[in-house]
Amino acid sequence: MVQHALPVVQTAGLCKNFMDFWRRPRVQAVKDLDLEIRPGEIFGLLGPNGSGKTTTIKMLLGLLYPSRGRISIFGKAPTDVAVKNRIGFLPEESYLYRFLVAHETLDYYGRLFRLPKRVRRDRADRLLDMVGLTHEAKRPIGEYSKGMARRIGLAQALINDPEFLILDEPTAGLDPIGSRQIKDVIRDLGRKGKTILLSSHVLSDVEDVCDRVTILYGGQQRAIGEVSELLRETDITQMTMPQLSWETVEQIRQIVERLEHKDILEVTNPRVKLEEFFLRIVEEAQAANIYTHGAGRAGATPEFLQKSTEEITTDEVVDSLVHAADRKTEVLPVAPALEPPRRAEPARDVVTELLGEKEQEPEAPAPEEAPPQAEPEEERRRAAPAADRNVIDNLLGSPGGDSDKTDTNKPDDE
Amino acid sequence: MATIWAVARQMISEGIRMKIALVFLVLLGLVVVGLPFSIAGDSSLTGAVQSFMSYSFTAVSFLLAILTIFLSRSLSDELVNRQILLVMTKPVPRWKYVLGKWLGITVLNAVFLASAGLIVYGMVYYLKAHHPALEEGFDKQQLEHEVLVARHATKYQVPDFKREAELEYERNLEQGVYDDRPDFDKKHEIERLQKVLSARWQIVPPLGTRLFEFKNILVDRSEGHYIQFQYKSNVTRPPPDEILRAVFRFGNPYKGAVVRDVKVRHRVDRWQTIRVPADVVAPDNTLAVQFFNQNPYPNEPQSNNIFEIRKSDDISVLFVVGSFGWNMVRLLCLIMCKLMFLAAVAILMTTVFSFPVACLGAFTVYVLAAGQSFILDGLDQMSNDYATMFSSLSEFFLQSTMHLLKLVGYILPNFARYDAVETFVNGHNVGLVWVLQAILEVGLLKTGIVLGLAVLLFHRREVAEVSV
Repeated sequence: MVQHALPVVQTAGLCKNFMDFWRRPRVQAVKDLDLEIRPGEIFGLLGPNGSGKTTTIKMLLGLLYPSRGRISIFGKAPTDVAVKNRIGFLPEESYLYRFLVAHETLDYYGRLFRLPKRVRRDRADRLLDMVGLTHEAKRPIGEYSKGMARRIGLAQALINDPEFLILDEPTAGLDPIGSRQIKDVIRDLGRKGKTILLSSHVLSDVEDVCDRVTILYGGQQRAIGEVSELLRETDITQMTMPQLSWETVEQIRQIVERLEHKDILEVTNPRVKLEEFFLRIVEEAQAANIYTHGAGRAGATPEFLQKSTEEITTDEVVDSLVHAADRKTEVLPVAPALEPPRRAEPARDVVTELLGEKEQEPEAPAPEEAPPQAEPEEERRRAAPAADRNVIDNLLGSPGGDSDKTDTNKPDDE
Repeated sequence: MATIWAVARQMISEGIRMKIALVFLVLLGLVVVGLPFSIAGDSSLTGAVQSFMSYSFTAVSFLLAILTIFLSRSLSDELVNRQILLVMTKPVPRWKYVLGKWLGITVLNAVFLASAGLIVYGMVYYLKAHHPALEEGFDKQQLEHEVLVARHATKYQVPDFKREAELEYERNLEQGVYDDRPDFDKKHEIERLQKVLSARWQIVPPLGTRLFEFKNILVDRSEGHYIQFQYKSNVTRPPPDEILRAVFRFGNPYKGAVVRDVKVRHRVDRWQTIRVPADVVAPDNTLAVQFFNQNPYPNEPQSNNIFEIRKSDDISVLFVVGSFGWNMVRLLCLIMCKLMFLAAVAILMTTVFSFPVACLGAFTVYVLAAGQSFILDGLDQMSNDYATMFSSLSEFFLQSTMHLLKLVGYILPNFARYDAVETFVNGHNVGLVWVLQAILEVGLLKTGIVLGLAVLLFHRREVAEVSV
């Protein structure tokens, strides 16, 4: 991936005070915020209500003026008009024109970007297909449900194929299908080198897609770093492996007790995420052609969004995914220095023997033509490091478990 | 330009779909189409058509002014409902956005105004074809020649007799008239003589005559072209039959004009128009008209009228310089300039205030601009001497308010100066120079200033700011 010299967003000492009618400061929404968003990363902005997330976003976009401090977007001030060509924005509410139909809405915003007519029409069609609103395209936006309006909001944010996408609560009001689709779009765009700023209260969504996050409270930054590092529990070791028999588990427990003088805290079948389960049920209904109003089956991410400016090939994408951890270590000095696994409290002998040296990040699988429908195995495959089966075999003295997992794991205590 | 047009298009879409615009259109239609039928049977054809056009264009101007103020609500709504957030995050400079909104309103006004104009045009010809005219032939002719045309009027300049008074004064001085009046003032004496001579001239006794000379009658003198002589048939004491019988002689034979005598039987104290072939105008574009206060009809009773020429009543020569259709186009241009200015004012108000306040502000400006002469005259009469301004707090407050209003009055365009409805309805030419002046002063300069101010204020505004 090409490294741009400038960060996409940089703020220094950013403050915002809201005044009352008599120009007295009433609320200090943002205090001394130093933020940096690097090119090509998916950056999460978190914080409770009133922490200054939306205010920060509005200042980045020139919709509010800072009381103090500096902001630069692509090296320019937020009020610079030309820079807006490279930005896409989805606000927390879909502030659309109620009297326009979907096509007209996208056409209008396309015109504001001075897109040629054919490009405008083409992109509008594809985006409507992506968000599953092709059949509702002739209805005025005022008649749409909140979720449908949100989808149009996303479509308008992408009409100009932006380099930098700002999403404020993108999954608010969306059903799980829509949420999954947005996350897939975000991941797709991230892979293509787009920079994304995501502000959301749905922490699981942020955890799923973001590379780095920051947490604001009272207008100030309280934490910042890579998701994997911030959330890592360094005093627990977790292993994921195919279903084992109770005898095998017992033997491993004895090994751990013998070598580490510690007991295994928990042995259980992990749960499928509710999202995965939900999507599977919906897919089955869609496959059976059961009729529904509202948003229809969504299409794939349009081609114009698939093309990155550096024209990354599929192989390069896969490569970059595989070496994601290495790349991240270079790019993000802010994150606490990675402690080598050896330094963790549990003795490393067992772990290194079982797992090997590789440090891997959980990543979404690569294939670009993968439809947004979830695959139940995805989560497990993501979490599972590439275990060296031979080591386990040696340890346990028997062939390893079944590698093709189904989702009908019985819990241990059944 | 594409961006400005994109915003304008969106404004137009919104305007068309706004229910309030539909209501206005229906009102407009009712007024313009329904009006002729409500006044059709009351008067002569000419009177009916003139009334219809006068009311229609006044109503259209007023309704479109109100609609313009209502349409500016679009900008206010976008700020309140936050659609502006999705526009200002696109590469749209704020000045283009303001200009686009103004252009959208202007285009809508232009379309509505043009439609109203076409409907009025159609209704006029419908009335002409279907109205039961009182004096069939005459009425239709009068309509054709005095209303459905664009005529230029050259007014007769009533002489001030200053030179004659001075000569009379010199003569009197020579003759020693003033020898026994040691304390008289030369200036006052000349003024007195002026008044005397003027008064004498204004009265034409029975069998008396007066000559009126006109210059710059730029008319085609060939066959088929005409000039109109317009005067008011005033007499000091109306005769029993209220008819003025006289002769008008047109043309100066010494200058190569054809001489034509026109005998008239005119009702007294009315505006009269005499239509004469244009060959009475001399090749040097001058026209001589001689009035003979004598009865040319030997069999009709003599009435010893004393004809009066009043300074306040214009004696003029009119000649056709354009067609009715194009005259209407120029009238619509003048109305359009005012609407353009009003749209700019409405946009300015909505960039700063919420819609109800902006509405009131824009309407106030409209009233001030329309009634400017009236208001300024009234203020002039009401305001006291500057010296008393600081005599008390209330006096200070009152006077400063009045001076402020006067100042605002000077900055605003004076709509009354560009009000051409009466001119148009009387078949007079709405001059191109007049239209160009309106376009420059109102349509471009003052509209530009107001829009510039709107852009400046909008630039400073935080569009995402919440205020309650």
